[in-house]
Amino acid sequence: MKKIFSIVFLGLPLLSTAQTGQPWIHDPSTLAECNGKYYTFGTGGGGLISDDGWSWHDGAERPGGGAAPDVIKTGDRYLVIYGATGGGLGGGHNGRILTMWNKTLNPSSPDFRYTEPVEVASSDGLEDNDAIDPGVLLDPTDGRMWVSYGTYFGNIRLIELDPKTGCRIKGNKAIDIAIDCEATDLIYREGYYYLLGTHGTCCDGVNSTYNIVCGRSRQVTGPYIDNVGRSMMEGGGKMVAGAEPRRVGAGHFGRTVIDDGVEVASFHYEADFDRGGLPVLAIRPLLWKNGWPSVGHPFQEGTYSILSCRREYALELAVDFVRIEQKNRMGWHNIDPEKPLEIIPDLTLDEVRATWPAGEIGVRTGDNMYRPHQLWTIKAMPETGGYLSNPYFKITVAGTDRVLCATADMEVTSTPVFTGADSQLWRIEQLTDGSFRIMPKAIPGKEGLNKKYVLYSIGDSTPTLAPYDFGTDNSKWKFF
Amino acid sequence: MVVASCMSVAHAQNPIIRNQFTADPTARIFNGRIYLFPSHDIISPVEPEKRWFSMPDYHMFSSTDLVEWTDHGVILSQEQVPWGNPKAYSMWAPDCVEHSGKYYFFFPDTPKSDTGQKRGFGIGVAIADGLFHPQFVPQEKPIAGVSGIDPCVMKATDGKHYLFWGGGGLNVAPLKDNLLELDGKPQRINGLPEGFKEGPFAFERDGKYYLTYPWVRNNGGTECLAYAMADTPMGPYTYKGIIMKESATGCWTNHHSILNFKGQWYLFYHHNDYSPSFDKNRSTCIDSLFFRPDGTIVEVVPTKRGVGISDARKPIQPDRYSDIGNGAIIEYNDTTDYFKGWKTVFAKQGAWVRYNRVDPKSSCAENVCLRVRTTGKTRFILRLGSYETVLGVDDTRGEWQETDIRVSPMPEGINDLTLILKSNGPAEVDWISLTENPREKYFMKPAAGNTTPDKDGFIRRWMLLEPIDKPNRSNTVFTDSYLKEHLGRTYYDGQNNTFPEDGQKVIAGEQQLTWHAVESNRFNVKLFRFATGLEKREYGVLFHAATIIDCEHDIADIHLSAGSNSASMWWLNGKEVLLLSGDRRMVKDDVVSPRLKLKKGRNILRGAIINGPGMSDFCVRFIDTGGQPVTGYKVTLE
Repeated sequence: MKKIFSIVFLGLPLLSTAQTGQPWIHDPSTLAECNGKYYTFGTGGGGLISDDGWSWHDGAERPGGGAAPDVIKTGDRYLVIYGATGGGLGGGHNGRILTMWNKTLNPSSPDFRYTEPVEVASSDGLEDNDAIDPGVLLDPTDGRMWVSYGTYFGNIRLIELDPKTGCRIKGNKAIDIAIDCEATDLIYREGYYYLLGTHGTCCDGVNSTYNIVCGRSRQVTGPYIDNVGRSMMEGGGKMVAGAEPRRVGAGHFGRTVIDDGVEVASFHYEADFDRGGLPVLAIRPLLWKNGWPSVGHPFQEGTYSILSCRREYALELAVDFVRIEQKNRMGWHNIDPEKPLEIIPDLTLDEVRATWPAGEIGVRTGDNMYRPHQLWTIKAMPETGGYLSNPYFKITVAGTDRVLCATADMEVTSTPVFTGADSQLWRIEQLTDGSFRIMPKAIPGKEGLNKKYVLYSIGDSTPTLAPYDFGTDNSKWKFF
Repeated sequence: MVVASCMSVAHAQNPIIRNQFTADPTARIFNGRIYLFPSHDIISPVEPEKRWFSMPDYHMFSSTDLVEWTDHGVILSQEQVPWGNPKAYSMWAPDCVEHSGKYYFFFPDTPKSDTGQKRGFGIGVAIADGLFHPQFVPQEKPIAGVSGIDPCVMKATDGKHYLFWGGGGLNVAPLKDNLLELDGKPQRINGLPEGFKEGPFAFERDGKYYLTYPWVRNNGGTECLAYAMADTPMGPYTYKGIIMKESATGCWTNHHSILNFKGQWYLFYHHNDYSPSFDKNRSTCIDSLFFRPDGTIVEVVPTKRGVGISDARKPIQPDRYSDIGNGAIIEYNDTTDYFKGWKTVFAKQGAWVRYNRVDPKSSCAENVCLRVRTTGKTRFILRLGSYETVLGVDDTRGEWQETDIRVSPMPEGINDLTLILKSNGPAEVDWISLTENPREKYFMKPAAGNTTPDKDGFIRRWMLLEPIDKPNRSNTVFTDSYLKEHLGRTYYDGQNNTFPEDGQKVIAGEQQLTWHAVESNRFNVKLFRFATGLEKREYGVLFHAATIIDCEHDIADIHLSAGSNSASMWWLNGKEVLLLSGDRRMVKDDVVSPRLKLKKGRNILRGAIINGPGMSDFCVRFIDTGGQPVTGYKVTLE
């Protein structure tokens, strides 16, 4: 398989693949949704808001200052947890972790009011712990609430809160679960608890080596073990997110499950080379392999074959197959080893497009031959908005204006010209297994944004639109 | 997120700063944080026989709760003042105010003799953009038209700033908006009762202006703190009374400031607690201050307990009592080093001491740690509110010991702590703390003879040298070439060719350092805690470690495997075998040497571990080519 063109884009500004707006933040809390908007809080107070998950701006409100907060929705309320001090920021290591509730995260809502903060943990400045940087987990198996916290100053600790009150469970003793971490978070998935910690050098701009590592455990209390059997109490940790080209210093993990098999990781990069070296919010696909998480790359523009996972047939225009002429088809028995071998060129677009009809052309899937009617150019359309991991994309037959679009009768087709209609814009998301789902931004005749129907292999050779189902390869696609 | 640390130096109690002298305390609130600007008494290095006031520089301290104070280090020293005599040691009582987003630090100093200034003191201004890592830049010249000491700048309700100072009495003048020039002629403040006055501190409350000041009210006496009130900043001021009486133990000066923090008023003042025989070395204290409904001030009686709620997990000093009785007395721990503080001596059965407002900060505190000295088995009663338990202490045979005692869960929340001697005396207590578990012990003294590595192959027995100063503010400088230069360097005689003995001293630059034999209680060696335990510098330092590995036969094809925080370099039998560079956390099996051989007989393993702001430690073991620990050798320090 070959990866066409995409290499060319490395090293160039990839603004279309990073969250847009003014996404300046350090230690973003796990993304929270409130009345259709996304929120994340950062170190020092305040935070970001996004209408669509792609474009972010200032405006979230969190009093109390301090470092690396987290937020979780439970019932109809949001629990915000934060370290009131700041990891030696002129205050030694006397940390305090506080929780407070709010009915909404929207500062302009009449219900927006934080409850009086309650202290749930503290460090005395002498012990091997600095009680800041909390990460909260609501255990989906039993409803118990856990918080990991701490910095490089000693141990990462685990405490239990009462999920109804946000207060520490009476008599709960803190347990040491890791060293060498800060800005930790806990998640649960399929029988494992994962502790994600940030390692490396913080706060050093484009030279920051900050990175996110994890260990896993069958019990929330640990021990958290990495991929080579090393405990996080020994400094172990499997890499989850490091640098990506032009952005370095991944820190403060948060996991958001969008759909079955569709997950993203939120974190910050210490510096975005294309935006003044500022710390920026990053949202990337979260992939899972053998029970280990890793952060994927943003989807990159380029020209690809789009292959169904059902049969690895390529998405193509329903046009005549054009044969390539080949002179010598006599086999290899009488080859003169001295004579150069013929180089057979690819079939070009110009050689075939004349045979294509002018108007709408249907699409189907077929044997992947890398022919012009099977190659698609995918271009980000950030001005049309986006979703948590990417902007919307335009998908055109390479070298032409012919676009892939959704139809009112829930099928897919191609039309000769891009009109900007939502049915011609596509949401592409990498799934946890590494494959992709492809869905139209909207379907003609259907209200609102489409969050349900994906490009779907109803037969080996026939794509359609059908409800997304992670359980079948019919919903999944690959790009080569 | 972690940033290089300032030093946390003190918590609660009077005096509030316990590792240096802090006189003339001016406390201010900026952005919700309390900042303390004292002058810095030292023993004069130039004329020790003169035994007079000697103040070379200013430290700044800050706190969010009046209890935990952070030392931000020196913010201005006498050498930095362009107009000041760099050897005058006369950086007396300062003040600091915020104006238009900048910080204006006002300080007295004596001018250089060649500037044409008349003798005496001038008042200078240094300006900083922020207080996080403040860079105070002093003006070229002192404020024109001002001769004197002890500046205090008050912002009046009309938005104008007024400078008060001492010199031939108390003086006041309005300042221009640049805070660098007078905006009118200075006025002497008249109409106050006779007697020497200095150190004015002025503030506004409920529309009245208060001028408070140290005052020698009795001819030949010492200073009390007094105050006067006025309706306008410039006066006239009417004398109202005494804020604090003269020192009961004869400290000649007192100097103060008054602060409202979260609705409560506080008096910051000084006393010579850490220098009982020389009253020019003074220390800052705080007590609560109250106003009567008519605006007059209730006299403040100095306490040892001071203000704030004490975190009971930390050593609480009952000698800083709120009440005491029945034969309990307070003595210095060490009369050759008063900074070692005080102890409570329980002379007889029933002697007691109370310390108010302690917070165990936990719903499961079940451990009491006492630093105690007894002869014979001793029992104390510990009371926390209505909770009572008996603390049994073994005979410490006249030595100080830290003893952990398991008790039933102690009550949550803030309570008064009372300690009563239940058995026959005497017994002495240095401090007490209440924690969930006994505090971790990082090291023990190694037993005689040799030992083996632990079951995972980690070497726990080491000779450690007290930290060598390497004041790096960041770990990002630890490149390979920096480390080869700075870790490969010889710092003291015998560094590379003799194996140190426990207690052996070396001279590295201007430091005298001691080797200590230690056995780590965990797989890693917590150098940071080694330094903490010795009250040595923990950040910006270089540690040297060494141990001896005895082998009965050659052990070949193994690797030295290390993790360190931050960078380190390791030598086996004098040959460099391992380098861990960069800003590093200690990770088991982080960096591993090429294959090497431990030879039959004696092998010497040395390490050098360097750190800027991090929590230094290391873990070292030998592993075989399959990554399994190698344990078939002995470790010794002899």
